[in-house]
Amino acid sequence: MLRRAAPLLVCLGLLVVWQLASLVLKSDSFPTALEAIRAIPVVLGDKDSLVNFAASLRRMAIGFAVGVAISIPLGLSMGRSRAVASLFNPLLMVIYPVPKAALMPIIMLWLGVGDISKTLVIFLGVSLPVIYHSFEGARAVEEKMLWSGAAMGLSSTQRLVRIVLPAALPEILTGCRTGLVLALITMITSEMIARQSGAGNILFNALDMGQYDTVFAMIIIVGAMGIVLDALFERLRARLVRWSEPQFDIPLSFS
Amino acid sequence: MNGRAITSDALLGMIPIVLLVAIWQALISFGYAPITLLPPPGQVFSRMVQQLLTTSFQQEIAATLFRLFTGFSIAVILGVAIGLAAAVNPTINTVVRPIVRVLAPLPKVALYPALLLLVGFGHESKILLVTFDALFPILLATYHGASTVEQKLIWSAMAAGTPPREVLFKVVLPAAAPSILTGCRIGLVISCIVVFLAEMITSTDGLGHALVTAARTFQAVDMFVPLITISLVGLILNGLLELTRSYLLRGFPEA
Repeated sequence: MLRRAAPLLVCLGLLVVWQLASLVLKSDSFPTALEAIRAIPVVLGDKDSLVNFAASLRRMAIGFAVGVAISIPLGLSMGRSRAVASLFNPLLMVIYPVPKAALMPIIMLWLGVGDISKTLVIFLGVSLPVIYHSFEGARAVEEKMLWSGAAMGLSSTQRLVRIVLPAALPEILTGCRTGLVLALITMITSEMIARQSGAGNILFNALDMGQYDTVFAMIIIVGAMGIVLDALFERLRARLVRWSEPQFDIPLSFS
Repeated sequence: MNGRAITSDALLGMIPIVLLVAIWQALISFGYAPITLLPPPGQVFSRMVQQLLTTSFQQEIAATLFRLFTGFSIAVILGVAIGLAAAVNPTINTVVRPIVRVLAPLPKVALYPALLLLVGFGHESKILLVTFDALFPILLATYHGASTVEQKLIWSAMAAGTPPREVLFKVVLPAAAPSILTGCRIGLVISCIVVFLAEMITSTDGLGHALVTAARTFQAVDMFVPLITISLVGLILNGLLELTRSYLLRGFPEA
């Protein structure tokens, strides 16, 4: 019971700390937690912002789905074939430290400020951790299982789908979980750079206009989205790979 | 693995990168992309060399590196300390666990506006953001590494008369070192990404700021230079961390 309630208690505790801190600091630009919570219905009640949120979530879902669909096969084949791995590894290492959202200004020049550029950036952000974890997962598959599969006449593609994929699934899902948090982060930052629509747009416009209640309300909303999405995914993961204990029960979030 | 295999792997790895640059050049040579939107690679690289020699650009890099290192160092110290404490002490564990569970999937970039309002537009807000983002992977890796230390090692050390405090530093910490270093590696990449993003949002110097300035004035060439620079910085730092790793883990198998 206490275990399940602990995260909720932590959320409450954070809000209390915030409330106390803001009462002590008494700064105009730092509203109290209660003020920020009161501003949430105002933000969510607005029809425009709901449309914005829907647009954000749609881009995130598409970017995430496409990213996962491409990254898993790539990561798995990298994990099983040394040639494929050494073909793609240096490229991925070069791309890794580049902030994907920072590609936004350049991609915007080619594809405009619309959905395509933002979804593309989210796709790029999701891909790397999923590729990396699929790669690690596929590399750790026991050789004996593959040999038995081969002895029973499975082709290499069949072996990849029927042995490597299930064996690497726990690791892949860890990657997907990181990817999910990343998709959210990339979504916010891409909308911050291309101020046209979306949740990030509301957040940073409010910051520029000095509407601090809205800024903090948006922070709560986005934070809650992160926590809820992660918890939902964890449920799904627990169902899909009931046999395996999570290595980290908390995702490693990237930006 | 012999030297020859490594060279051929490296050659294989160059293919996609060379191909990418070739496609880039081809897009321009065959007139698919106007030079204003996609400058030829030669022009970008010569511009980069030219920029790297100017003091103003060196100062931008210095500003970015300063924030990156400060934030990352704080994250390493805090992450290792909290991770070790949580792994060793059950009371701390029950407190830290739910807090980390709530805070780790939080999109930290969304907190950046709050940090800006609280600690101002200077170095502090960026350093704090880097610390927040790099902290959790390091903390989790440390915790994971320290909590999977073989119990026999600890027992033997205690049987040999080592006081409990020294067991922590002489047995647990070295045994967790590989895991901690993996966490640091993830944290380092994240730091590169986050510091760049923070500088893009609000800054008066740094590589991220250089990108934003170039984007506002539609200097496509100058937009590529900071991106390639941050990628190089990431690669170099990663290489340095690898060296540290192979030095620190010289006694470990397959390090």
